[in-house]
Amino acid sequence: MLVLLRDLRKLRRSRGLPPARRPGSLALRHVDCGSCNGCEHELTLVSGPTVDMARYGLGIVASPRHADVLLVTGPVTTRMRAALVTAYEAMPEPRRVAALGDCALGEGVLGSPSEIFGRVEDVLPVDLRIPGCPPTPEAIAGALLGLIDGTAAS
Amino acid sequence: MSALLPSGAAYRDAVATALADGWRFASLHATSDHGDPAVRTLLTSPEGTTRLETVDAHGGVVPTIVDLAPAAGWDEREAHDLYGVRFDGHAPLRPLVEHEVPLARFTTPVHGSDPYQIAVGPIHAGVIESGHFRFHVVGDLILHVDARLFYKHRGLERAAEGLPLADGLPVVARACAGCWVTNAVAYAQACEEALGLSPTPELARSRTILLELERVWNTLNDIGAICAGVGIAAGTARFAVLADDARQLNARLTGHRFLFGSVAVAGSALDLDEAAVGDARETLARIRRESSRAWHALLFNGSFMDRMPDIGIVDADAVQTLGVVGLAARAAGVAEDVRATSPWLAYDGFEPAALRRPAGDVQARLEQRALELLPCLDILDRLLAQPVRPSAAVATGTGSAVGVSRVESPRGATSCIVERDGDLVARVRLRTGSYANWPAVAFAAAGNLLPDFPLINKSFELCYACVDR
Repeated sequence: MLVLLRDLRKLRRSRGLPPARRPGSLALRHVDCGSCNGCEHELTLVSGPTVDMARYGLGIVASPRHADVLLVTGPVTTRMRAALVTAYEAMPEPRRVAALGDCALGEGVLGSPSEIFGRVEDVLPVDLRIPGCPPTPEAIAGALLGLIDGTAAS
Repeated sequence: MSALLPSGAAYRDAVATALADGWRFASLHATSDHGDPAVRTLLTSPEGTTRLETVDAHGGVVPTIVDLAPAAGWDEREAHDLYGVRFDGHAPLRPLVEHEVPLARFTTPVHGSDPYQIAVGPIHAGVIESGHFRFHVVGDLILHVDARLFYKHRGLERAAEGLPLADGLPVVARACAGCWVTNAVAYAQACEEALGLSPTPELARSRTILLELERVWNTLNDIGAICAGVGIAAGTARFAVLADDARQLNARLTGHRFLFGSVAVAGSALDLDEAAVGDARETLARIRRESSRAWHALLFNGSFMDRMPDIGIVDADAVQTLGVVGLAARAAGVAEDVRATSPWLAYDGFEPAALRRPAGDVQARLEQRALELLPCLDILDRLLAQPVRPSAAVATGTGSAVGVSRVESPRGATSCIVERDGDLVARVRLRTGSYANWPAVAFAAAGNLLPDFPLINKSFELCYACVDR
């Protein structure tokens, strides 16, 4: 166990992760609005042992009713727009929206214009933009910590 | 190709005869043939050869083949929703991609006083892709599941139409991050067949390396996902670290963790020097050691393994009927793997891995993954023995208007059909392993307990993105 912890510490240092001790926390709800699943794969690793977002007070919650931040991936498809708005409306205030990945920001290969509603910010007010195709687990964690620290560049 | 297309009856006869001769259904799509509306069905033989049966769709109606090949069910529903083709005899023709219809048209009627429905999604509780499931249950027992996908439909096939063939690749491959390389190679090979090009041995080697690198991280990820389905945190964490290791290797080799941009039409820019292939072999050897240690820890965890057997069964008969492909088919004892019949890739002498207990249940699919990881690492070790150099396809034929390719993705056979108009994409159809296997998930769930559904679902670990496109 101790060996495992030592390995983990080394691994985390080599990945340039920010220090863990900080006040505050954020409850996140993820909504996939048409991503290629790349952002989801990387977001899953943010809760994995290397980044371990729980160390920073970040956690994925099962319902938007428990969430501070709506983490939206993908170009918003026409078929997901209503579900996205429903999830947002279910959130308690104050609430924040983070657009995760280039598709959510309306960049890169999106699809046929008739099937895509638009960027996340065409549907909801966006507070945090996390670019990348897909952003790495470290970049996702780093950007979300900006929301806790109040240093998020939006 | 003649402008005079076969009539409905001739088409049905041709498909029925082929199926009786051992051919299998692989794909169906609506298109136009020299400006005439048409439907094309792709069939494959056990030797890996493919043939297209095209039928005239004037008047918007063609006879269904869903009674001959139930696997064509989703394809016909998609062709109806997106291209307006009606399939005579396919009743009820339920919507698949079209969501603007009353829910009752989506769901199978289940009668009786006790059954009720549980609606799940499109937004799920974890970090999961979007899709809607409607469980018809009595108590905890699942009677039937209606899967309503295509929430993520981005119209990628249409977006590729009109683009130069080479520029269509990033659009088609964008369907899915988990199967990016498979989709890209399938598209590139289909284009090359249409253009009369063939890969050189070096190009074949470079693509095979990328395909197997994709399989490595997916396999590790999917074993971890099954652990997550059971809730065994230690297994989830260990396999997550290993999948991350494999993706970091991808990034070192190609500049991208999911290998995006590493495949092109008619050539490869992959350039791995002595140091890079050495790093790859070393990392993969470490992944082999650590994953077999982690696998043994799982294997001897009684509470974990007790959850696996006898649930979510898709047996060999169901595999044939539903057209199940890939690992899910092999876990039921059907030795089907496109890698064994891929002359354009470097899988010389490949034979599908066979389980001692091919029961087609969750345990078999889990064990099949662990079993297939080793030959996959062996292939990589062999192919990475020398540096990899950029290479180009060579002209070997005159080409044709339509190119077809089949590639084994981590979830099963993926078919890609590219129809060209000069150097432009006229129509492209990507039918992924996930697309073929989603109906099997619903089939496997029936008769099981609702709390086992997440595990049954994870044992297939299909992409939604690959299906919705």
